[in-house]
Amino acid sequence: MWQRRAFLKAAGAGFAASLLPRRAVALERSELVFASAVQTARGGYGAVLLGEAGELIAEIALPDRGHDITISPQAGRGVVFARQPGTFAVVFDPAGTVAPVTLTSIAGRHFFGHGLFSPDGTLLYATENDFDAAQGVVGIYDATGGYRRIGEFPTYGTGPHEMLLMPDGVTLVVANGGIETHPDFGRAELNLDSMDPSVVFIDRRDGALVGQLRLDGGLHQLSIRHMAIDAQSRVWFGCQYKGAAADAPQLVGYATQDGAIVLVDLPAETLAELRNYVGSVAASADGTTIAVSSPEGNLLVAIDAGAGRPSLTQTLRSGCGLAADGAGFVATSGLGEMIGIAGASRAPRQFDFQFDNHMLRV
Amino acid sequence: MRLILLVMTMLCWTTAARAEPIKPAEILQAAVVNVIRPEVLRFDATSRGLSSAMKALCASPSPNGKAIADAQFGLVVAAYGQIAYLRLGPMMEDNRADRLLFWPDRRGIGLKQVQAILSNQDNSVTSLAGLRSKSVAVQGLGALDYVLSGTDADTLTRPQGEFRCAYGAAIADNIADIAGALVAGWFAPDGIADHLMMPQPTNVDYRSDTEALEALVGLVSHGLEAMRDQQLNPFLAAADAPAKPKLAPFWRSGQTMTLLSGSIMSMRQLIGESRVATAVAEKDKGLADSIDFEFRNALRALGLVTLPVEQAVADQKQAAALSYLALVTDSLHGMVGEQLSAALGLSVGFSALDGD
Repeated sequence: MWQRRAFLKAAGAGFAASLLPRRAVALERSELVFASAVQTARGGYGAVLLGEAGELIAEIALPDRGHDITISPQAGRGVVFARQPGTFAVVFDPAGTVAPVTLTSIAGRHFFGHGLFSPDGTLLYATENDFDAAQGVVGIYDATGGYRRIGEFPTYGTGPHEMLLMPDGVTLVVANGGIETHPDFGRAELNLDSMDPSVVFIDRRDGALVGQLRLDGGLHQLSIRHMAIDAQSRVWFGCQYKGAAADAPQLVGYATQDGAIVLVDLPAETLAELRNYVGSVAASADGTTIAVSSPEGNLLVAIDAGAGRPSLTQTLRSGCGLAADGAGFVATSGLGEMIGIAGASRAPRQFDFQFDNHMLRV
Repeated sequence: MRLILLVMTMLCWTTAARAEPIKPAEILQAAVVNVIRPEVLRFDATSRGLSSAMKALCASPSPNGKAIADAQFGLVVAAYGQIAYLRLGPMMEDNRADRLLFWPDRRGIGLKQVQAILSNQDNSVTSLAGLRSKSVAVQGLGALDYVLSGTDADTLTRPQGEFRCAYGAAIADNIADIAGALVAGWFAPDGIADHLMMPQPTNVDYRSDTEALEALVGLVSHGLEAMRDQQLNPFLAAADAPAKPKLAPFWRSGQTMTLLSGSIMSMRQLIGESRVATAVAEKDKGLADSIDFEFRNALRALGLVTLPVEQAVADQKQAAALSYLALVTDSLHGMVGEQLSAALGLSVGFSALDGD
């Protein structure tokens, strides 16, 4: 797939510059498998590309804290998005032949940390904040033309976070977290009393709203933020609750393109350990298992997507990053750990950097 | 000789006593018992005082009564500053944080709603029950700031200010009611205080010493971040923008620095009284002094800002003090949220607790 060998020729500033000679050997032998934003041991920010066994293939320096990463084999590029309310996204060449390029959000917008490529790799979509209007937008960038921003369409809500592409290749699904923020006030949440979270399906060809789903039953403070798609094309989502801690609402559910939205009943003790906070959601390679993480509760939960019941719970301090791995998942932590769970046969590994919230399997 | 021996024995004894590392339970108990509970009680007492002052002013409007209410409002803002960052437990229930102070109010929602209430003389807001059913933005300290110090506030000294005064009195009652709920929450048996002081695996909130310490350090780390991002930076001049003093909380009543000082003093006290910054390895022992030094720098800067915020940002020396305060707040945020957290083996600063 990716040409690891090409890293050896890389000359980009801040990229592969950190490719130490001993790592060149790893590079020769490794396939790029995982990518994650990190905080380095020196306190700086970057992204790492890792091989199957977790060996470090390359580091990409970032001007500030990153969040999620998307990679398109068709485009031959990956993008690290700044954590909200960041204004940069770094486009890098996973093959390391071209120096990274930093995109800056346009005036009046900032990134929300997530995005994706079109299936043919020609367009890049990013969730962004039109902060003066307190409206979410999807920014559209021309991946064939220097990542020029060529347009946007609304997310039909406030505070969009993760966005995925449905298996039809046409429909985007966006989690509108419902929380208003404005860069003048850092990460302050400005509308906790009047939040309006939703899951929306959008036709990426024209930005038309295909469907918008809201949770009822007084759950307007349940911010829908992260998602994964299962084998039945159901969109599983994980929430963060902004109301009273003792309310302890259900936090995980799924939405379908034909208009259903359901919260699954996790057992009370599991829910308690999630601490009203799901930081990441992933689907297994076969789409039959969903994993969710809570770095606040130090808990990872694997859920049988068919039965809607947990098949495994495991603690991992500050654990948040999740990606399909073997029959199960790889999980990473803000303390630098990488472990396998729920069917992944992976020896635990400790890194000298701290993983950010999301892990991408390439 | 005997004296020397005695002194040496005492020195050994005190050294031994000092060498005994502080236990998490002692840190957490000191934080709750010596700092949090007394400050919540102070907020409750001053709020009830404000409620009485507003009622007295409404019963017999006068400049003197208004001056008393204004002064009491300042005391409530100071006491509020000391508890504003305690964003866990009872503060996070029933929208209390927003009902106490809807801030930042980026689009001026609260201001417009308060002005509409005053202009329409909407009588439904003059009772506690009626007010509680309204928007959070018209129920708390921000709304009372406008009632006491906004346009036409001087009518409060005369009978024609009757409606405005009744609305202000209802806000004061609401603040006191919320203060009472905070006291109840922090003193409830088997409540947040007990869970913080005695973390148990069976608790729904704090199951271990580490989690409780993370909550404690997180309060200060997030409190400093909120102060920097919500109460300070928005109104300070930037490289490409002039100062915007009307984005300062309580600029009308001139209580901006009262609020900031209250928060800085309280966070300093929480770190100092709990001794949490001393529960670190030998190599990090200097951190406690560094943090306290920086807190004192912040208080020194605040002491230099004596003018109302609109004039302070135009005064070279006082504007410089405010810019310095922003730098110090940022530095403190790094020291507490990253250095202290790391020294204690906590994960306050990174993938946990960041709302992403």
